[in-house]
Amino acid sequence: MSLTSAIRTAQSALSNNSTQTSVISRNISNASNPDYNRRSAILATTTFGATVVTTERSQNQTLLRQGLQGMSASTGQQTLLSGLERLKSIFGGNDYETSPASMMATFRDTLSTFAVKPSEATLAESAIADANQLATGLRSASKAVQATRLDADRQIALDVNKLNSLLADFKKANDAVVGGTRSGRDVNQQMDERERILKQIVEIVPVSINGRESNDLALYTAGGLTLFETIPRTVTFTATPGFDANVNGNQVFIDGQPLEPGQGAATSGQGSLQAHLQVRDQFAPKLQSQLDEMARGLIAAFAETDQSATPTLPDMPGLFTWSGGTVPAAGALVPGLASSIIVNPALVTASGGNPMLLRDGGINGAAYSANPAGNASFSAQLDSYVQAFDSDMTFDGAAGLGTSASLSGYAADSLGWLEQSRSDAAASSETKDAFVYRTMEAYSNLTGVSLDEEMSLLLELEQSYKASARIISAVDEMLQALLAAAR
Amino acid sequence: MKTSFISSLAAQNSMRLTIQRSQVEIQSLQKEVVTGRYDDIGKSLGASVSRSVTLNREVVRLETMRDSNSLVTQRLSASQLALGEMSTQAQDLLESFISVNSSNDKNRLAVAEQSIRNALSSFTSAANTSSNGEYLMGGINTDTKPLTEYQAAGSPAKAAFDAAFLGHFGFAQTNPAAAGITVADMDDFLTNTLEPMFTGAQWNADWSTASDSNVTSRISRTELVESNANANEEGVRKFALAAVMGLELLSAPISDEVRSFVNSRAIQHAGEAVNKIDNIRSKLGISENRVSKANTALEAQEKIFKLHLADLEGVDAYEASTRMKSLLAQVETSYQLTARLQQLSLTNFL
Repeated sequence: MSLTSAIRTAQSALSNNSTQTSVISRNISNASNPDYNRRSAILATTTFGATVVTTERSQNQTLLRQGLQGMSASTGQQTLLSGLERLKSIFGGNDYETSPASMMATFRDTLSTFAVKPSEATLAESAIADANQLATGLRSASKAVQATRLDADRQIALDVNKLNSLLADFKKANDAVVGGTRSGRDVNQQMDERERILKQIVEIVPVSINGRESNDLALYTAGGLTLFETIPRTVTFTATPGFDANVNGNQVFIDGQPLEPGQGAATSGQGSLQAHLQVRDQFAPKLQSQLDEMARGLIAAFAETDQSATPTLPDMPGLFTWSGGTVPAAGALVPGLASSIIVNPALVTASGGNPMLLRDGGINGAAYSANPAGNASFSAQLDSYVQAFDSDMTFDGAAGLGTSASLSGYAADSLGWLEQSRSDAAASSETKDAFVYRTMEAYSNLTGVSLDEEMSLLLELEQSYKASARIISAVDEMLQALLAAAR
Repeated sequence: MKTSFISSLAAQNSMRLTIQRSQVEIQSLQKEVVTGRYDDIGKSLGASVSRSVTLNREVVRLETMRDSNSLVTQRLSASQLALGEMSTQAQDLLESFISVNSSNDKNRLAVAEQSIRNALSSFTSAANTSSNGEYLMGGINTDTKPLTEYQAAGSPAKAAFDAAFLGHFGFAQTNPAAAGITVADMDDFLTNTLEPMFTGAQWNADWSTASDSNVTSRISRTELVESNANANEEGVRKFALAAVMGLELLSAPISDEVRSFVNSRAIQHAGEAVNKIDNIRSKLGISENRVSKANTALEAQEKIFKLHLADLEGVDAYEASTRMKSLLAQVETSYQLTARLQQLSLTNFL
């Protein structure tokens, strides 16, 4: 052991010191970067003291996977919730002002007032006006439902584009990591970048990660479709230009295989794609078919029957009619009916009709008139219409609300179904949010930067720098003393 | 090596998130305290929304029914008033006949005829009462005057009587030849010619445009009542028959024996008229009673529904405000802690 070796050791200490300081300063500068994992310089003992062998990136694969999965689930749930919230907003606020249920009730009340005073033309007019509002409400609700589907479809297209470009980015980052690892370079920066991209990918599709040698990663969807293995797989989707009740949206294909939509209000779907598919293909169409059934119920309840002693003519649409112009068969869904329901022009003053036909019947010819004498206070037909709102009728089970209900009960049940879904989705979203928040917090605590810790490490380094400098100056003095003695 | 297991980012985020969540909750609580209902009914009730919507709708429906019941009540009491007047006139008619019973005094007959004339005209105008644009005695045909004026010029009822008399006897009732009519002849005329004109289909041609069916009104979910009467009721027909007999035959040049026969028959009809009209009144009285009972029931139902609604979508304002207070305290603490923790950094001491 010589004085020279003491100086060398002190030198290497200084060099370690500077590396460590640079690692700490990088840590500090990234303290508020959520995608940054804390680095630490690892020292190893050598002949001359210690040397920095590697900069280690702190990581925890288990927590990361859990966090990514949670993020995926939480994004999916939130996407679904906002879709359901949009569907709910069609029906107004806390009082459901614009829901068919409320408008039906208003119309029924006007109608029952009219039934008490059937001779009054203004009451007939206001009953027709309310009926018109109801028909318009059904049409615009149906339009809004289809607009929601269209928006979901557009969002899917955007997400697919984003996913494709993210996968391309992921390839770059992954290649850099793998190449760097193979050639023994520091790949921490690249790994941070790759993790950042991964966090964005899981917001679109659920990902299961498969780690391979040389830090290579392969990505699969939770359902087992390959997203990335050495090269990114293409995700394809054809957007639909416009929706109505008879149009089905296209599927999303990952590597040629269809991505299945989520199931249920507390959705099994993860990532925004599955949730958008669910809104587009499950919730909105179901709501549409419920609206269609309500419209069909209205047409049926107000249909005119042949009043002759021996009826021969078929039932015809009365107050409410639609583009088909017939009374649809009982208990069979007619897709898109709600988008074409109107108040029969024969009853609308503005189109040259006579609102009093509501009281008398006979819109489709004299045989259908229930009040051929034209008695001014004939209330039986009006009263039967009012009663029709509360008498059971047959609905198509395909709309998901059972097959037998009263018209107004059915309208209320439809709201109940939607709100139940929304309430479930909201509750589930809270749980999933809390999960992802806790996991990411734990992950961040493990891998993130603590400023205080870095500062205290810096203090330590300062001291060891001083000590090393002291050693150098002490050895210097000793050498000088030695040289002076030798002179 | 990492020793602290707390990252600056996580620490900041956790404080921020706590505040953010509390603020969202404060907003919704504030709404709940003010309105007394859930901030977001759908989210809180889920499928029960269907019940809440139905109950809300029922409350409005009951209110509408009570409003429309006031229309029914008004129609019923106006009808009662008219029928009361008609009953009084029927009574007057009866008294006029009784006053000339077995009397042949010209003067008394003239007085009686005048009072019959008055009774008929008052009766007709009472039967033609309209209220709120509806003729009350029209049955469901409320937009035409139900009863024709017998004494107006060109009255079809008068023409029909004249034709019937002429057809039966071969001369007009004012013809002196009427003195030769026997009681049997008159009985035949009254029973087989005149009375069928009032009880049969001809009544609707000569006298009345009313419909046989009365206006029915729904006064509660399950109850329908008749809310007016019609001029085709037997009481009205009998009154008209008696009045026509009095006007046309009492002062006709007929024999005393026949006159007294006619008079006694007229008394019989007028008596029946009083009776039958009072029947209608009591029938409408029952309707009135049912309406008021229905109103009481509707009111009670409304109260029950409102109570249910309050149970379903109401928020305990006391609980909400307590929660609000503790939340506010929490948020304040959180603000203070955030500020304190931000200051608490090693950098400040170096």
